[in-house]
Amino acid sequence: MTELDLSFATDLLLQLVGVLPVTLGMSFLAMALALVLAIFFAIVQIFRIPGLNGFTQLYISFFRGTPLLVQLFLFYYGLPQMFPSMTAISAFQATILGLGLHFAAYMAELIRGAILGVDRSQMEAALSVGMDRLTAMRRIILPQAARIAVPGLMNSFIDLLKSTSLAFTLGVAEIMAKTQLEAASSFRFLESYLVLALVYWVVIMIMTWGQKYTERRLEEAY
Amino acid sequence: MIRRLQATGLAVVMSVFLAACGGSEQSTSTNETAGTPEVSSIKVGMSGGYYPFTFVEKDQLQGFDVDVWNELSNRLDRPVEFVTAPFSSLFGMLDSERIDTISNQITITEERKKKYNFSDVYVFDGAQITVNANINDINSLEDLKGRTVAVNLGSNFEELLRDFDTNNEITIKTYSAGGIEQEVALGRVDAFIMDRLSAAELIKKSGLPLKQTGEPFEVIENAMPYLRTESSEELRLQVNQALKAMREDGTLAEISQKWFGTDVTSKG
Amino acid sequence: MALLELRNLHKAFNGQTVLDGIDLQVQQGEIVVVLGPSGSGKSTMLRCINYLETPDKGTITISDQSVDAESAGKKEILALRRKTSFVFQNYALFKNKTALGNITEALTTVHGIPEQKARKKAMTILEDVGLADRHDAWPSALSGGQQQRVGIGRAMALDANLMLFDEPTSALDPEKVHEVLDLMKKLARQKRTMMVVTHEIPFAREVADRIIFIDGGKIVEMGTPEEILDNPQDPRTRDFLRQVL
Repeated sequence: MTELDLSFATDLLLQLVGVLPVTLGMSFLAMALALVLAIFFAIVQIFRIPGLNGFTQLYISFFRGTPLLVQLFLFYYGLPQMFPSMTAISAFQATILGLGLHFAAYMAELIRGAILGVDRSQMEAALSVGMDRLTAMRRIILPQAARIAVPGLMNSFIDLLKSTSLAFTLGVAEIMAKTQLEAASSFRFLESYLVLALVYWVVIMIMTWGQKYTERRLEEAY
Repeated sequence: MIRRLQATGLAVVMSVFLAACGGSEQSTSTNETAGTPEVSSIKVGMSGGYYPFTFVEKDQLQGFDVDVWNELSNRLDRPVEFVTAPFSSLFGMLDSERIDTISNQITITEERKKKYNFSDVYVFDGAQITVNANINDINSLEDLKGRTVAVNLGSNFEELLRDFDTNNEITIKTYSAGGIEQEVALGRVDAFIMDRLSAAELIKKSGLPLKQTGEPFEVIENAMPYLRTESSEELRLQVNQALKAMREDGTLAEISQKWFGTDVTSKG
Repeated sequence: MALLELRNLHKAFNGQTVLDGIDLQVQQGEIVVVLGPSGSGKSTMLRCINYLETPDKGTITISDQSVDAESAGKKEILALRRKTSFVFQNYALFKNKTALGNITEALTTVHGIPEQKARKKAMTILEDVGLADRHDAWPSALSGGQQQRVGIGRAMALDANLMLFDEPTSALDPEKVHEVLDLMKKLARQKRTMMVVTHEIPFAREVADRIIFIDGGKIVEMGTPEEILDNPQDPRTRDFLRQVL
């Protein structure tokens, strides 16, 4: 047994903290994209908007039915062979796109459930004061659905954040990629992946505090 | 028709999004020799995990291929940008024109020659078996039958092994994220196939209980692949010229001495 | 000209007829109380008037806006709806808004009134309904009676041509009923046009200009409170009154 090399671990930790913005940046941008799309898809499904409803179901079925890694490869390597202009997408963008599109499929279901979980009379009340359906959604239904959806969405976000580690396969210099390269040249696999795990864990613990805070805020009215 | 519309919808969503976060390109490392801004940099793909050809230590990308390219960059008067990605991803990047070439001790094979034009050979090597230090009964490819052998995913050693193993008597395990030396050291697999040079360096550096065994088989010629496009072909010819000059004035041999203690850049 | 006119209104749920050809006119400033046994269609009629339920057949006209069920478009329905306000049996306050927010919401988002002005108007209304001190309370922190007073305040703020009340006191604890009825009497004195579905007979006697008795999806009889309550002509009206009195 070799001993743990603490100075190696500290060096790596500092390096990882340095590239953490890449991981977090991808996570937050992908989450924003996923949220917007998911709300859109949820509303399309609830209102059964003709044409879009069929597309949404196909979309959700595809993105839930295929592995994320396959989707990432498809975007980054596959599609550019057919559409050369897609080469303009960087690995960083492809990851955000892939994660966003993928998690939107899961979150659409979650948000749809949350919207349906809001009491029907809330929509009626909104209509009765003269709102159209979209305004009612935006002002009354979605804020109430948010409270129901937040715990589930937070789980999705944690999942998404961890999934950014797949970006290394596209060559994005995020924390997983850095760790692999350092581990490969130093052969200090234990230290490397321990430090990496710790970084993910701490980040997600901080997110979880944020979630608790948000939930308390949303709970104020109830 | 509906499918067309749906595809268009998806494309619109994507383009809106791309416009929203354009220009956040990630590149791993840029040479200090970066020239005038109007000269575009040469994008060179490598795994960054293949000692001593290309590897990262203390956040510093280095190795034989890195030195070769820094020198090429000087001579061509164009900056070089190294793009690191797992080995199995590199050819996908080349095909989608995200990089101009791969410099990762790429072996010339018939399969690859069908698709790419290669630069002149800049490393001569051989394939060799590496086993755990306490194993003595593996000395040739023949001895691998009935055993489990590790190779890197997408490397030509996998192909080589399958060509030899016509009756499927060898269990071949492929790895995409490195770690095959660890597998053999831990005894999870019986042997791995790699090129002689990097295996030797790897054993020395890692201090793992490994040894090379048997004679090197199959002469391996390493070069850099280019797409068959006009601009790639132009670059390839320029690189060939610079490589030739480096060979003639001894620079190439010098770089080889630095990393291998011997000249691997000329045939025996 | 009548403020509200219903012509030949029909509605069925899953083949079960609920409204079977309702014809009705309500005049500006009139207070109409709708009585009828449960399942008679009285709530459905009220909910059809502002299209919370979609009638199968018939026309609804409120002042100059006419909507035919068989050719109703989204815009017409919205326009019709904006001529009414609605008070729900279960209050249906916006759970994500405070008492004040419940009243300002439509003023700012639907009528485009600036926030400050809307708040001022809402505070005046909260004073009217006696809840000015609870303006920043969440609905969950209010009693049933208080919630319904906010619900009425929300309807008042719209200044709609016609206020619709769907059993506004039947979900309340008995001791809270009077505070809501008192508020409605106050509105009646302001001569707002109101249609009230209720079981509160004394309220109907005191406030109504006209009482309509509905059974089986049809208007059985109508008249002044004295005519209907003291001297009902139809046996179904008599049966009903015997049970509730």
